[in-house]
Amino acid sequence: MKNKLLRLLIMLSKFVLYGITVQFICIGLLLASDGVSQSIKPISEIDLNVRFETASIKTVFDKIESKTDYHFFYDESIVDTEKLVSLKKGRTTVFDLLLNVSQQSNYKFKQINKVINVNLVDNKNDDYNVMIESAMQDQNVTGTVKEEDTGDAIPGANVVVKGTANGTVTDLDGNYSLSFSDEGAVLVFSFVGYKSMEIEVGNQSIIDVDLAADVTALSEIVVTGYGTQQKKEITSAVTSVKEKDFNVGMVNNPAQLIQGKVAGLTITRPGGDPNDDYIIRLRGVSTFGANQEPLVVIDGFIGASISSVDPADIASIDVLKDGSAAAIYGTRGSSGVILITTKTGKVGRARVEYNGSVSFDNIDRTMNFMTAAEYKAVNGAIDLGSDTDWLDEVTQTGVSQVHNLSLAGGTQGTQYRASVNFRDVQGMAINTGFQQINGRLNLTQTALNGRAKFILNLATTTKKAEFGFKDAFRYAILSNPTLPVKFDGTAGLTDIGGYAERDVFDYWNPVSIAEQNLNDGKDTRTMGQLRFEYDFMDLVDGLRLSLAYSQQVENDIRGQFFPSTAKFGDGSANNANAERSTERRNNELFESTLDWVGSAGSTDITVLLGYSYQDFFTEGFRMAGGQFLTNEFTYNNMSASQDFNNGLGTVESYAHSSRLIAFFGRVNLNINNTYFFSVSARQEGSSRFGENNKWGLFPAVSGAIDINQLASIGGLANLKFRVSYGRTGAIPGESYISLQRFGPQGNFFFNGAYVPSYGPVSNANPDLAWETKDEIDVGLDFVTENGRWSGTADYYVRTITDMILRVNVPVPPNLFAQTDVNIGELKSSGFEFAAEWKAVQNTGLTYSTGLNFSTFSTKIESLTSGDLSFGEGGVLFRANMGSPGQNDTELVRVKQGEPLGDLWGPVWDGTTVDADGVPVFDDLNGDGSVCNCDDDRKVVGNGLPDFTLGWNNSFTFGRGWDANLFFRGTFGHDLLNSYRGFYENLESTTVGSWNIVKTDAFDPNVKKAVVNSQHVEDASFFKLDNASIGYSFDMSGSKAFSNIRIYLAGQNLFTITNYTGIDPEVRYVDTGENFGDPDDALSPGIERRNTYFTSRTVTLGISLGF
Amino acid sequence: MKNLIKKFSVFVIALMFIAPACTDLDEELFSEVTADDFFQTPEEFIAALGQAYSSMSGMGGSGGLWATNEMASDEIVVTTKGGDWFDGGVLIEIHRHEFTPDNGFFNNTWGYLYGGIGTTNRLIFQFEELEAAGNTEAAAFVAELRAVRALYYFWALDAFGNVPLSIDFTDESPPANNTDFNAGRLEVYNFIESELNEIIPLLDPASTANTYGRMNQAAAYALRSKLYLNAKRFTGTKQWLKAAADAKVIMDGTVGTFGLLPVYSDNFIIQNEGSTESIFVIPYDKVFAGGFNWAPMTLHYANQSTYNFTFQPWNGFSTVEEFYNSYIDPAKNPGPQGPVWTGLAPFDPADDKTPNGMGTQDARLSNFLVGPQFNADGSPTEDPAFESETSAAPDPDGTRLNFTPTINEIHPNGWRQGGARMGKYEFEIGGTENASNDFVIFRLADIMLTRAEALWWENNGDAEALSIVNEIRARAGVTLYTSLTADNLFDERGRELFAEMTRRQDQIRFGKWGDEWWEKVSYTQDGSKYIVFPIPQVAIDASAALTQNPGF
Repeated sequence: MKNKLLRLLIMLSKFVLYGITVQFICIGLLLASDGVSQSIKPISEIDLNVRFETASIKTVFDKIESKTDYHFFYDESIVDTEKLVSLKKGRTTVFDLLLNVSQQSNYKFKQINKVINVNLVDNKNDDYNVMIESAMQDQNVTGTVKEEDTGDAIPGANVVVKGTANGTVTDLDGNYSLSFSDEGAVLVFSFVGYKSMEIEVGNQSIIDVDLAADVTALSEIVVTGYGTQQKKEITSAVTSVKEKDFNVGMVNNPAQLIQGKVAGLTITRPGGDPNDDYIIRLRGVSTFGANQEPLVVIDGFIGASISSVDPADIASIDVLKDGSAAAIYGTRGSSGVILITTKTGKVGRARVEYNGSVSFDNIDRTMNFMTAAEYKAVNGAIDLGSDTDWLDEVTQTGVSQVHNLSLAGGTQGTQYRASVNFRDVQGMAINTGFQQINGRLNLTQTALNGRAKFILNLATTTKKAEFGFKDAFRYAILSNPTLPVKFDGTAGLTDIGGYAERDVFDYWNPVSIAEQNLNDGKDTRTMGQLRFEYDFMDLVDGLRLSLAYSQQVENDIRGQFFPSTAKFGDGSANNANAERSTERRNNELFESTLDWVGSAGSTDITVLLGYSYQDFFTEGFRMAGGQFLTNEFTYNNMSASQDFNNGLGTVESYAHSSRLIAFFGRVNLNINNTYFFSVSARQEGSSRFGENNKWGLFPAVSGAIDINQLASIGGLANLKFRVSYGRTGAIPGESYISLQRFGPQGNFFFNGAYVPSYGPVSNANPDLAWETKDEIDVGLDFVTENGRWSGTADYYVRTITDMILRVNVPVPPNLFAQTDVNIGELKSSGFEFAAEWKAVQNTGLTYSTGLNFSTFSTKIESLTSGDLSFGEGGVLFRANMGSPGQNDTELVRVKQGEPLGDLWGPVWDGTTVDADGVPVFDDLNGDGSVCNCDDDRKVVGNGLPDFTLGWNNSFTFGRGWDANLFFRGTFGHDLLNSYRGFYENLESTTVGSWNIVKTDAFDPNVKKAVVNSQHVEDASFFKLDNASIGYSFDMSGSKAFSNIRIYLAGQNLFTITNYTGIDPEVRYVDTGENFGDPDDALSPGIERRNTYFTSRTVTLGISLGF
Repeated sequence: MKNLIKKFSVFVIALMFIAPACTDLDEELFSEVTADDFFQTPEEFIAALGQAYSSMSGMGGSGGLWATNEMASDEIVVTTKGGDWFDGGVLIEIHRHEFTPDNGFFNNTWGYLYGGIGTTNRLIFQFEELEAAGNTEAAAFVAELRAVRALYYFWALDAFGNVPLSIDFTDESPPANNTDFNAGRLEVYNFIESELNEIIPLLDPASTANTYGRMNQAAAYALRSKLYLNAKRFTGTKQWLKAAADAKVIMDGTVGTFGLLPVYSDNFIIQNEGSTESIFVIPYDKVFAGGFNWAPMTLHYANQSTYNFTFQPWNGFSTVEEFYNSYIDPAKNPGPQGPVWTGLAPFDPADDKTPNGMGTQDARLSNFLVGPQFNADGSPTEDPAFESETSAAPDPDGTRLNFTPTINEIHPNGWRQGGARMGKYEFEIGGTENASNDFVIFRLADIMLTRAEALWWENNGDAEALSIVNEIRARAGVTLYTSLTADNLFDERGRELFAEMTRRQDQIRFGKWGDEWWEKVSYTQDGSKYIVFPIPQVAIDASAALTQNPGF
């Protein structure tokens, strides 16, 4: 423990050191910038401390010049600077000091702006021997700009004299001072995210302003590909989620922040395994070829790993939903684009924030099965004498803690934010969880009089994970409840490592699985990005160049160990088994863009041109072997494995690379704030495409019209109608698949010895091209004038063609039985709606509610192309039910002209069984007998949802209380419950080998395990996904803290569903029957026996601001 | 300063436009090679040749050519054992001859054969190119590869009949077969025969360690002999004398030096390489050449402890009872009588090592594993999840693991312990899923019986035929025959060649393919339907030029 703490401290200090080093480098740049932002004050307002009783006039001048911004201007031939004057010690103003000097000499002073003129007094009786003359600026206004709601100062707000370039920005405390000579001047106060205010100056000299947050959100900044736009200008389907709307609680993955928040974006992680990734689908399933996951862009870094950013560092997540928005990302835009923007420092004093939380994770849902008493009452039950609660044995209350610490601030020249995030997450399964530490530094430095900007983002994450084995859950459900955990001498049991094991097929003691074996990983993610922006304001107004280099390195090292004392993993059979593997993935991106913002008449024009070069490199190594003399090494000394001496060890290494190059451009027009247009194109090539099709063009065009501007509709601030079209692509999931390749193909016996043989491992396809998606989106946005109602609706149609699929081809003429080709067509459409209503806005209570709703439908138009066919003539059966006894039992039918996701099988009425207890299925073709063939099978469900729903409710009440309730539902999808398909019967082998699954549908007459329509269940659900209540203390009187908030949050609090399995969440991919099978996107809707139980999480947290 | 900015701007803008020069999208390979980078050195030629053989490694697995042939015959069955091994009914369908083009076993078989044919076509093309370029070794490789291809075509002709004749690597048209089934079969038969006729003289006449596991002259003679033996089915024309003549070349030692091993089971021991009885084998090795999986396929889950295997067996393949009985039934196999495992008769639990009945003691009973099983430490092996008295089909001898030749039913509740297991190849103590025994394809005993049978078909009183059969029977320690009949010749081949993938051919040749056995119903063996397997639907979908076999 002590050691752990020490390592943590060393690690933390490393990050601090890195941070400081970077800070020092940038201080040099800081000095180049001019910190003065305000108008010149009159000398009567500047104080000085006089320390001498006697001084020369020159000394006085020097002193004033060094302490202030004023300069003395005089003719040396007239002014005797060596003349001594006597001074009054102590604090005085510059005005008084000079008056004193004037009275002792015959010089007079006149201040004009920063210059103080010195001249001879021509009339000894002249009273005005010190004059302040601001000839240019006859009026000076000062004041403070604050936030209306909180009363916090707003640093960096713009204050401009309307119609002029004369302006300033507020300082760290929100203060400003501005001088001007214009008569009847109007000052414009503005700040991003707030409503601008215009105030007529009149004869006021102090103007304090409270800016109100922009409730209409029309000016909200939305991050789009390669840029930002105001919400009112957006012409495509883009949803922006800001930090205040993120999910709270134990959130360890950025995807969790917006789960359920965006219409059309589904984020699922069936089961509660903290080490599992989230599956993200935008607008349903848009391909089952390559790359179904949306493209992730972090601060402009395309294809960055979502696990390289800590959720606590994210400021906003923007989702590009339609084809026109995503087309600027070309070959990778088809599954949508998720843009993550991290928090940056703001001009203002340094702010330290700390967030800490502790969470408790408990079992929520599992599978029902027989108790020991129920099991023993079954004919043929094997009573092993104990009564074991297997669920209790393999689970725990997972206690997790999260700490985030950040430091942010900045001056006009430099803004910084540094953070450290520590997560110690314990899974609900014993011996699972992870520890993660993440550090991030975001730094912005302005140089060359504001023309140049350097932006540096650095982030690093190290994660140490205990993955454990999901098998422990599977066998906890399936274990004979009378089996003891530890070997107790009962007949029929085997003692392996002290645990009670049974010599039956497909069975392992779940506690032994969880306690004896190791499955660990240490992952590091490092991401760095340096961006240089240069504003050519001297050459062409509004022209800006941006150069960015980004690199991400992901390094995984993994280890598995099955000791000789464990039955699982063949540990006892092979005197321990160990596996060690490592992989490094490198992703480098260079991009240069040139953009111009300008206007012609009442049309605002934005033009973007860019070039992008991206290189990927992956390399890895794996070794596995058994036969160890001792278990002490675990996976750390692979050379001790005797298997290597005997030639039975496994070793592999690999490397592959790919490259993407693109040219892109876009023009955005805003005509009179009424008509909006956007046209873009990306010409992109990937090394993964075949020789004849290296490059593709991905155009997009979109337009919008604010109807409210044309015909002002009562009560509306905005009513925008949008239409867009865009083409995007998907690249192959692997490199080299367009090439004819050779690889080792076993050994053969040649002249008395085995020599390696080589053969083809793929066919060439020089025509291999990108998968194409064409999407049309029609949308409507509205905001009411009072900002209380806002909403957006979209309808889209997608056509996906040329999917990259591996089809069977005849051998000969082909060398290899499968080729990757472009084939098939999918069509999907859907409707999305999201609305928000600020229902109550009283001082004591506010309540706002938001709803989002989306429908999905995906149809397989074609799976054939000429002679080629994916599947058998456009029909394909997939998803093997598996062992025991149900291999070659396919659960999914994929057919041309049918919806994607159809589950397939025989139909059983749920009651009729024959004399042997075998369910009698419906004779669907009516030929008088039920065949074991497709004639008597039909579509018995569909694994994809009809619609999804997210419903958010936010409250604030009393002084400082806030609460949030977030409900989420998915409707119309089915799930095949594998546990029931295998074990909800009294077949002799089920009773003899395992426990019996028992839902309400359990029928003791069924004595045969055979999967059928009864095992396909409607898995529609509605759940309270997230609820929180928080209290913010009133810190107005505190010097130490700026805010303190405590909160209590619950996740997955209750679920309403009829599904009897573990998790009713949609299964977008089939994880396969065996652990480690590749995910199959064509077979949604199957809950396999490797599902982690779902968990309910309660989190207690605190946020502190200093 | 302004000047500097201007210069700088020009530089950056230039950079943006120089950058487009970086548009190279060629793929760089690291852990794989393309065809362009291969075929450069002699070692690489051999490595390339090797694929013609290494692609045969699927023979010893549970899903392909071997399993399909054997499960369709009366030798092997995979019963549904409660919840295990139903697998959508595909295994039972093959046993019952309910062949459908969708059954995955046919597709696996097709893929295995045409994978091999495609590979040999490619290698023949590549070695011919080398030969044309003046490589002197290439010619011998080409001949050898053509012999390998002929073997694949022999198997394809046997399994599917009218198969597409793809022989030219450069021909890119999709595979097509003859629209007329019989004409198509004849074409394939003629091709195999002419190929063998042409290349036999070019092959290595010696049978030494250097040609072990490769198609030498003896292997090619063996192949042609078996082609002729089955010629009547393939072409309608008998070729008995040709079959007998080719067999004689091998038996006389004209090519190679072969002889029967004194002990039958020595042909199948772990170190069976170099057996003087083996003419052509697929060499397997747990380290170098995996894929021979009989131990997991046939043994019971609990047999892991019998052999201290590093894996748990799957309890799948066992022997049809009637076939097992052809060894011990004195009427079918006269010979010395003694204690053998006869079936369900009760055994004495106190002395459970003693067999439970009397029958013919044929040395070739080593082909089976029957009776109670013991752990490596000598303790009895038990099946904790046995079929108890209250189950649908109670196991008669309780928890004790005891392989009974009797199987109660094929479906749905076949006993987990029912059926004699395939004990033919020696199991390795501490072994892995992959056995190191070499898999016998052509063996002298088979060739001897081929000659005997061919002579007998020609003249059922042929003296040499009888003496050859008796030579085989003498080694097995059973009584010699006084005369040959269709039945005793058929049974003798069965006993000698169990699980050597000859049974289906034998049953068809002797007109017994349509007979009833156990769960398989009888039908008329009409010469077309069921004599071949259906061409898999996947292959037909992939090539519109393929015509399905008649009747499917």
